Amino acid sequence: MPRAFRIAVVLITALLILGPVGLVVYQSFLSGPFFQPNSTLTTQAYEFVLFEEEDFRDAFLNSAIIAVGMTAIAVPLGCMMAFLLVRTDLPGKRFIEPLVLVPMFVSSVVLAFGFVVALGPVGIVSLWVKGLTGSIPWYLYSKTSLILIAGLTHVPHVFLYASSALRSLGSDVEEAARSAGAGPLRVALTVSLPMIMPSILYATVLVFFLGFELFGLPLVLGDPERILVLATYLYKLTNKLGTPSYDLMAVVVVSIIFVTLPLVYTQRKLLAAASRYVAVKGKASAQRPLAIGAWRWPALGLIVAWLGVTVVIPVTALVLRSFLASWGEGVGIWENLTTAHFRELMEYPNLVRGIVNTLLIATVGGALSVSFYALVNLALHRWRSRWTAVLDYLVLVPRAMPGLIAGLAMFWLFLFTPILQPFRQTLFSLWLAYTLVWLAYGMRLVSASLLQIGPELEEAGRVSGARPAQVSRDITLPLIKAGLIGSWVLIFVTFVREYSTGVYLLSPGTEVIGSLLVSLWGTGAVDLVTALSTVNLALILVGLGLMFALGNKRHA
Amino acid sequence: MPKLVIEDLHLRYGSVEVLKGIDARFEEGSVVCLLGRSGSGKTTLLRSIAGLEEPSHGSIRIDGRPVFDARTKVNLPPERRDLGFVFQSYALWPHRTVSENVAYGLRLRGESKTGIGTKVQAALEGVGLGALGERYPSQLSGGQQQRVAIARALVYEPPVILLDEPLSNLDAKLREEARIWIRALIKRLGITAVFVTHDQSEALAIADQIVLLDGGRLIQSGTPEELYERPATLFASEFMGTNNTLNVGVVERQGGRARVTLGQHPLWGTDRTEGGAAREDAKGVIRIEAVRLVDGAGENRIPVEYETSIYLGNQFEHLFRCGDQSLRLLSHQRVGPGTHWVECPPDRLWVF
Repeated sequence: MPRAFRIAVVLITALLILGPVGLVVYQSFLSGPFFQPNSTLTTQAYEFVLFEEEDFRDAFLNSAIIAVGMTAIAVPLGCMMAFLLVRTDLPGKRFIEPLVLVPMFVSSVVLAFGFVVALGPVGIVSLWVKGLTGSIPWYLYSKTSLILIAGLTHVPHVFLYASSALRSLGSDVEEAARSAGAGPLRVALTVSLPMIMPSILYATVLVFFLGFELFGLPLVLGDPERILVLATYLYKLTNKLGTPSYDLMAVVVVSIIFVTLPLVYTQRKLLAAASRYVAVKGKASAQRPLAIGAWRWPALGLIVAWLGVTVVIPVTALVLRSFLASWGEGVGIWENLTTAHFRELMEYPNLVRGIVNTLLIATVGGALSVSFYALVNLALHRWRSRWTAVLDYLVLVPRAMPGLIAGLAMFWLFLFTPILQPFRQTLFSLWLAYTLVWLAYGMRLVSASLLQIGPELEEAGRVSGARPAQVSRDITLPLIKAGLIGSWVLIFVTFVREYSTGVYLLSPGTEVIGSLLVSLWGTGAVDLVTALSTVNLALILVGLGLMFALGNKRHA
Repeated sequence: MPKLVIEDLHLRYGSVEVLKGIDARFEEGSVVCLLGRSGSGKTTLLRSIAGLEEPSHGSIRIDGRPVFDARTKVNLPPERRDLGFVFQSYALWPHRTVSENVAYGLRLRGESKTGIGTKVQAALEGVGLGALGERYPSQLSGGQQQRVAIARALVYEPPVILLDEPLSNLDAKLREEARIWIRALIKRLGITAVFVTHDQSEALAIADQIVLLDGGRLIQSGTPEELYERPATLFASEFMGTNNTLNVGVVERQGGRARVTLGQHPLWGTDRTEGGAAREDAKGVIRIEAVRLVDGAGENRIPVEYETSIYLGNQFEHLFRCGDQSLRLLSHQRVGPGTHWVECPPDRLWVF
């Protein structure tokens, strides 16, 4: 890659990142909307939101409580499951392992709908339990339930990092402990888990950070009792004062980024520390599972129970509900089965467009995004320059922006920039927002394949007589082809699942399933919501099928 | 005119100076070995010649044409230096067949399709792999991969070929065969080859000229015989061959000879310090094959105590003790415990 080209790519990426963020920060210091000429510079919006607005304070506090609570649930459970599934002779672990990651691939609004349909006050499971015992022993819309569900659905994130760290740990270190006289439990607590501490710490910060980003779950589960978190507060703010209050929204966005950016930065540092730690691991020779004897059965029971509550019950109930004409007390399942909701779905042009758009943005858009991520990666590839460090840090910024915020910032950018205005109501605006939101993730997917290419393969091209651009075309790209296809499948699933980024960009022409679900839920159209969710789940299933077909084992 | 001239070459990574002023000239058609321990800068020097590293100071000229010159800011990119390079790991492109690997350099040079076909076939036959063109690198053995890497570097007939420890990934037997055929191949083609190795026996076997490097500096440059038989410094003498390094006291120096004492025994040696003063703490170096086991006392003979023996198959290596210093020698005779006499010929005992 020629130097001028590299710099151009870095600058364009920087503009893409800093444009929307800069606009939001600028707006937060204005007295009115940025497009009104009489807006003046002021800090009054900050004064209002930070010191006078009680809802904001409540939302902030709720976010903090939920983030702490779900971390406290997800981390121990995730570590325990990782140890059981990776290091022990747990029965059936080969079938269970892929299932554990499912909640990561399902959109959290869809999961939340599933919980409402299954365990809500008139949920399918709730009414069944009520029929047996006469009452429902839980209440779905409480803060405790929200924390519990958020905790359970984030177990996979911890599992992912803990299990991959455990896998790269040689069993020789455990065997050494066994020979020294330690039992299996002692081995886990004093050798295996401490050795992967950096990965666990990283996962802890990640889950805590995701707690602050939470949108889908509190939107659906917190609404009946008016439990607001930061993201849902921002979403409600649009309607709260009647007119869209740009300055207040901007301040909320800046406050959220103020919390998330340090967390993202910490994650980055911890990840670097974690990979350093792995360098001093034991030799990863053939791993022998630890025999845990009779403990196998309660351990298996625990994992199956988690899978049941977190995946099987909500997903099954949601799909079942989409095939039921109606549901309530005294309604039988068998005599109500119907496909009417799916036919109804086809009668709404915006919903049909939403499905088509989702497919377009996930396939074509996903491919374009991966090409863009590959281009940026290639521009930085083997470049000893301060520019690479600059972009390294810039990529953290979109990572710190929850989809909802990035979508809002992108929406404003399209309003603000004259040459972009004609594209605002096209899929291009949505694609750009998606690409930006998943920039850090996509960059990492592509760079993982690039890192596997030895520098001498490219140097051999240079000394054979190839210019840098020819080396990229003839050697580097063909070598990462499989990695790029794998990345595209993962981005496909990610884009199908995405729901929050499109919320503010939703307009005739830019509908996608995710943002339609959020707005339909507000209207109470449960039949349509469950049917559309089922379509969404089916698309994700196709993506996951592709992933397994490609034997792609890399995840977030 | 020398083929390759390197003048006052410096290179630094951050604050570490890896090359500290290298001057060398390599003659056309010769096989040059850059020899040194790891960290001596030999690979960095080779990569600098190829254009894969950027020196901070000095110049490199090929056929009189500067490919790098810090003063005039000339720094040709690797692809414009027209060199062949064989990597330690071979760096064969795994997504291409053997033929495609070899053909790439020709394709970049705009060669016609038929021309490429003929030359690739000829290059592969030259390394004895004529029938394996359609295979992928992963389907070849290590020795075959190394041959493909050499064919790839030679196919476009570069005037200079650079080889970075090309034999280090082969097992011992293959390595000895490879030395012979690589040297024969390079000699047949009449090109200049620069070869990096840390193995002195490999350097002795393959090179016309050896360049010994240490700590980023050139220690000595010369034919293998010169380096082995007339090392210029203590480092060079110890690096080559298997040696006895003895602490000796210098009594006097005259006419290139030095009289030293080993313990209390007087010995004559060759003075390699170029007329230094008498010093107590000099080093005497003698190759283990130069020390001879003899029947009794005499000129330049010392008594030693038997310690132990190693059976090497074709001969024995004996370890003796003389005072607190040990002395190794090779012999066909079996030796028992007790006092023995050994002779150190004055022209083979170098005093530094």
